Amino acid sequence: MSAIVKTVSAFMTVPMMIFGLYVILHGHLTPGGGFPGGAVMATAVAMLIAAFGLSQSDARKKDAFSLFESIGLLAFIAMAFVGLQSTFFANVLAGHGWIFGSSVSYGPNPGYLETGGVIPIMNFAVGIEVFAALSAVMLAIMLHRREKHD
Amino acid sequence: MIDAVHWMLSAGIIAAAVMALKGRDLLASVIYLSAMSLMLSLEFYLLQAPDVAIAEAAVGTGLSTAIYIAAIKKTERMEHEGT
Amino acid sequence: MKALRHLTMAAFFCFLLAGAMYMHGVGTPERTQMDDYFIKSSQEETGANNVVTGILFDYRGFDTLGEASVLFAAASGVILLFRRKRNEQ
Repeated sequence: MSAIVKTVSAFMTVPMMIFGLYVILHGHLTPGGGFPGGAVMATAVAMLIAAFGLSQSDARKKDAFSLFESIGLLAFIAMAFVGLQSTFFANVLAGHGWIFGSSVSYGPNPGYLETGGVIPIMNFAVGIEVFAALSAVMLAIMLHRREKHD
Repeated sequence: MIDAVHWMLSAGIIAAAVMALKGRDLLASVIYLSAMSLMLSLEFYLLQAPDVAIAEAAVGTGLSTAIYIAAIKKTERMEHEGT
Repeated sequence: MKALRHLTMAAFFCFLLAGAMYMHGVGTPERTQMDDYFIKSSQEETGANNVVTGILFDYRGFDTLGEASVLFAAASGVILLFRRKRNEQ
């Protein structure tokens, strides 16, 4: 790609990553959540691949993305198992004053970050999983070389 | 007023979908699909579903277009006649 | 044979038009008991301001688990399909 595309891509990657992280971390306060935020971050990776092409170490990066995909899904299931003292997927942290545990009353409020119980942690796990899975798919498609015809 | 916007967006979505099906240039079809996804996310936003609108804009407009274009780059741009 | 096909298409579009005329208005959803319960008590029970996220990750957590599993399976399938063959290099 040309120098203009490379410069603009390198400049835009940081705001896109930060916006994706913002969408993930404020998933319990504003519209968004783990899935759209992870997709935004994976779009930044796709833009980098389109602008700068592939490098020698991308096969190892694909394996690392695949590992993080598994870690995200396992963290989500583990957070579901945390609530097993009452039921599966019970929100045991909400309203108990510990981490993410401030109680919220019905009605409009300015939106406090330390609320939501297990929801922000699950959002983060799903965000990691979606980001890693979509980036690994993009890298796997781009790394594939066409086989010779018989 | 808002009804006119809804009708125009719906007509644009259907027109873009039909244009994506017509024609043999797959790259143009992918761009029409991306435009359809953008109008669909705007329609979701007007129907007061911002969560779905953000997901549609991120996945449909950004990422699936990139994956389709990568697949076209790996195969062929023009669709063959018949078969 | 062609006339029959055109007749079928015409009947199908008449059916679609009749269905669209009796469709419920877009943008004015009806209230149900479930909506009222979620809107009233979702903030206090889950602690999340965003009611949609509260439903997705708390009340309907199994739905999100299935969605994440489907995405994981799809990504694994793509990586498996595009892997490098060992005897090729």
